[in-house]
Amino acid sequence: MEFDTKNIALIKALQKDVYLEAEPFQKIADSLGLPLSEVIEKVKELKGLCVIRRFGAALTPAKAGFKTNAMIVWDVENGDEIRVGEIMASHPRVSHCYIRPSFEGFPYTLYTMTHSNSDEELQDIIKKLSEKSGLTRYRILRTVKELKKTSPVYFG
Amino acid sequence: MDSIDREILNIIQSDFPISPEPYAEVGARVGISGEDALKKVRVLLADGIIRKVGPFFDAAKMGHKSTLCSVQVPDEKVQLVADIISGYPEITHNYLREGRPNLWFTVIAPTEERIAEILSEISEKGGVAPIYNLPAKRMFKVKVDLKIMGS
Repeated sequence: MEFDTKNIALIKALQKDVYLEAEPFQKIADSLGLPLSEVIEKVKELKGLCVIRRFGAALTPAKAGFKTNAMIVWDVENGDEIRVGEIMASHPRVSHCYIRPSFEGFPYTLYTMTHSNSDEELQDIIKKLSEKSGLTRYRILRTVKELKKTSPVYFG
Repeated sequence: MDSIDREILNIIQSDFPISPEPYAEVGARVGISGEDALKKVRVLLADGIIRKVGPFFDAAKMGHKSTLCSVQVPDEKVQLVADIISGYPEITHNYLREGRPNLWFTVIAPTEERIAEILSEISEKGGVAPIYNLPAKRMFKVKVDLKIMGS
């Protein structure tokens, strides 16, 4: 997609706080001086192109009943990343799954973010992930404190 | 949270209607009026169960670079360094975690040069090093769409 003046203006307008109103897209259309139908069409196009990867509500996991949220990092043999990554990603309680570089003293390269209702459930998820992938060397990086969590602002 | 709230959450997490009156559609799907659906979502937001409603852009498709970074910070300096890190609008997530390294944060910026600049500023201002820059080599999943079950 081309980020011309018109698209940038739309993306800026879409990031405004308008979605807790009855007619949010009308409000965006008014602010841009565009017809409602054009704004709706354009948003659908951005979704279709996956420039908008998701449109909707983000929850606070801890308050939505997911009390135990943990980043788990796994030590993977070279060359096995794609096989195990796909296995991990297929678990419904894994929300994020990435391969990242290792670094000094930290051999782990597969990162998974899991959400569970209790510590027992977390252990259960880890056990399943470990059995299915065959990976046994991992670390649970529990959250001690959430210091910041916001959404990025594009073309701010 | 009642059962209609849970139904609404499951719908609007991934399928917020892109239409003139989104809440009228959501309400119709769960058997209440659009006005009541909107009221319920406002309460869920006020209670902090919903953090945000709106678009989530793909950083790469927006021409931006994103990365996860980590750094080991001694206990007595955690607050100072965390405040420096959280001060950057390009830094969207910042977590203190168990183990070493203990501070983990994400950076989203238009260029890799800008990311490098931010990291060197943090290192200098906070007196911490090294900061590990760990951009994803491959992404398998990013989906914070949590199916809410009945309690």
